Amino acid sequence: MTSITNSAGSFFNRSLAQMSDLRGGIERARSQIATGRRIERGSEDPAAAAQLRSVARREALAKVEGDNAARLGQDLGAASSELEAVTALLQRARELALQAASAPAGDRARQAIAFELEQLGEQLFGRANAASLTGEPLFSGQSSGAAFTRDAVGNVTYVGTPTSGGVPVAPGTAIERGLPGNAVFEFVLAGTPTSAFAVLGALTTALQGGAGDPVAAASAAIAGIDAALDTTNRAQTILGTRMAWVEQVQEQQGERNIALAERRSRVGDTDIAEAIARLQQSLTALEATQSAFARVSSLTLFDALR
Amino acid sequence: MPSAIFTIARSGLTQARRSLELTAQNVANAENANYSRRTLTQGELVMTGNIGNNAQDSLGGVRPGIIERAESSLVQRQARDSSSALSAARAEFLAMREAESAIETSGVYAGLVDVEAAFTRLQNNPLEPALRLSALESARKMAGNFRIANGTLGNARSLVQAEMGARALTVSERAKELAEINADLVGSREGTAGRAGLLDARDLVLRQLAAEFGIEPTINANGSADVMLTGTPSVALVTGAVASAVSVSFAADGTASFAVGGTGFVPAGGAMTGRASALIGMAGLQTDLDTIAISAISIANTAQGNGAAADGSPGQPIFAGTGAVDINVVLAAATGLATAPSGAPAGSRDTGNLAALLSALGASTGPVSRADTLLLGLSSRVSALETRSEGLTVVVASAEAELLRETGVDLDTEAANLVRLQQAFQANSRVIQVAADLFDTILGLR
Repeated sequence: MTSITNSAGSFFNRSLAQMSDLRGGIERARSQIATGRRIERGSEDPAAAAQLRSVARREALAKVEGDNAARLGQDLGAASSELEAVTALLQRARELALQAASAPAGDRARQAIAFELEQLGEQLFGRANAASLTGEPLFSGQSSGAAFTRDAVGNVTYVGTPTSGGVPVAPGTAIERGLPGNAVFEFVLAGTPTSAFAVLGALTTALQGGAGDPVAAASAAIAGIDAALDTTNRAQTILGTRMAWVEQVQEQQGERNIALAERRSRVGDTDIAEAIARLQQSLTALEATQSAFARVSSLTLFDALR
Repeated sequence: MPSAIFTIARSGLTQARRSLELTAQNVANAENANYSRRTLTQGELVMTGNIGNNAQDSLGGVRPGIIERAESSLVQRQARDSSSALSAARAEFLAMREAESAIETSGVYAGLVDVEAAFTRLQNNPLEPALRLSALESARKMAGNFRIANGTLGNARSLVQAEMGARALTVSERAKELAEINADLVGSREGTAGRAGLLDARDLVLRQLAAEFGIEPTINANGSADVMLTGTPSVALVTGAVASAVSVSFAADGTASFAVGGTGFVPAGGAMTGRASALIGMAGLQTDLDTIAISAISIANTAQGNGAAADGSPGQPIFAGTGAVDINVVLAAATGLATAPSGAPAGSRDTGNLAALLSALGASTGPVSRADTLLLGLSSRVSALETRSEGLTVVVASAEAELLRETGVDLDTEAANLVRLQQAFQANSRVIQVAADLFDTILGLR
């Protein structure tokens, strides 16, 4: 008798192992299709899982950076519209100064002009201390208090910080939050530091009778108002550039988000067509194996002998 | 001599019937993986008488021999060794997969990224109470995730340890069983069904032992098996009828050490080795997890120390704790987050200190990157273990198929034997019929 035989037990073991392998494959393909995720645990594909982790981190940070950029855009827009109003206001002040500087205007007219200038000064002070939509001061730099204060005799002083700090809007890119008030309202006139408030205040006082020659004072004030306008325009330009920058960053963020989503999908999502084809293939193989098993297992001599 | 024909035919009938019984036994055990198929040997029976040079033969038929059991110590050994290796790889894989689940699903990495995101958002407006609160809560969540990871890792570890303790008891029991089988084998007679059964039981115990430890059995002439557990140093588990007990103990960091009959040893091979190696891996994971937690604590608290809170006071620590087990938020209020650099006045919107914290968190040596490295290393290891145990599964399956081919029951052969033996039985009956006819013929002489 030969010692090599075809053991019944080994045939059944082998068939069962093959069928359970196929079953496992079908189950995996089915869950990939159902969840849409190719990887359920890191060990299935460590490199892809690591990529997915870094994509997820990038996406989480990109979302926050997108929100930051949107809010920064709003704040810069708010500051810019305040500055537009300030420009209009200074232009009106310049017109008034011109009127006051023209000789025919009498004392009463100058009084009226002085009254309007006083109102304009109040408005200017209000706009310089304007707040953003969320109530943060627009021109006080990194300070959360008012940008300018006024003492008992009407002198206006900048009390914010000289820089306004950046907001990170993209990896490695931070855009300045706004402009500190001293860069918007303070300037140097003929070698002397002064401010829009001081210029308007001095003119008002002169027209109210504080100066011997109000006409000359008004003429002299025009240069100061022009300098204030210049400073405001420069600030407006800076804000405009930054707003354009924010917009550009937002566009880039949009593109990067699409790239990130594509990458995530490529690495971590189930390729449905492929998974379904694989599932079908495994199903066919399993059916074939089962029917082959049924036929082969009935092929014993015991069935043949009657 | 018709009476000799009767005897011969009767011996043939006995032989055929006993062979049929063995065939029936083989068929009945066709699905018993621990059964080695049996055959009955036979020998011709001839009686010879001598007087001087005159020799006279008398035919006596067939003599039933001994029950032979299909043996193949080499294939048995292959099956044992490959199953030892597979058990080691599989046990380590299953244990490390638990650890992977523990650390991956506890969200340590996601928690750290959430903290990063919340603090980045805070840079937009560092004084907004809602943003501050959400940043502090994200830190609290992160600390919670660390504690969860620590707890689930501890669970995975204690599961492995409990299994090792239970398996050590089983191994000791099996060793005792083998010692008893050895004692019985010494007393058993060669070629009996009882001895074949004992040998089956011996091989089964050896396979069961090999699943847990790498073993080096010595099969003695009388069939008994002495077992050494391989390792450094190799130690005797069973010698003759004497068995030693296996014990396992655990150090403070969770790693295991083994002893047999009081002698310490480091096993090589078997599921116990896999589990021991998984426990060492888990101890490493615990260290890494603690290191990451401590790095998060120290980065956050250092940044706080370098900064000023919303009210301008010096920043107080955010976290307390000595590792993943007890990391905890101790900062009482969100206003205490030191977003501004040290010396900044109350109400400063300076985010310099916040930026320093964020860059330390996100640096390549920071906790985020370390957690990523930890997860990558862990999942790579689990993946490698899975590949290894899949490969070994194939080896084991082929070794088992080989073993079954050598020792298993082939139903086709047994069916053919049934027919053959049935014919032999009928033929022998026919011989008796012929002998009876001969006898009757002689009795009928007139």
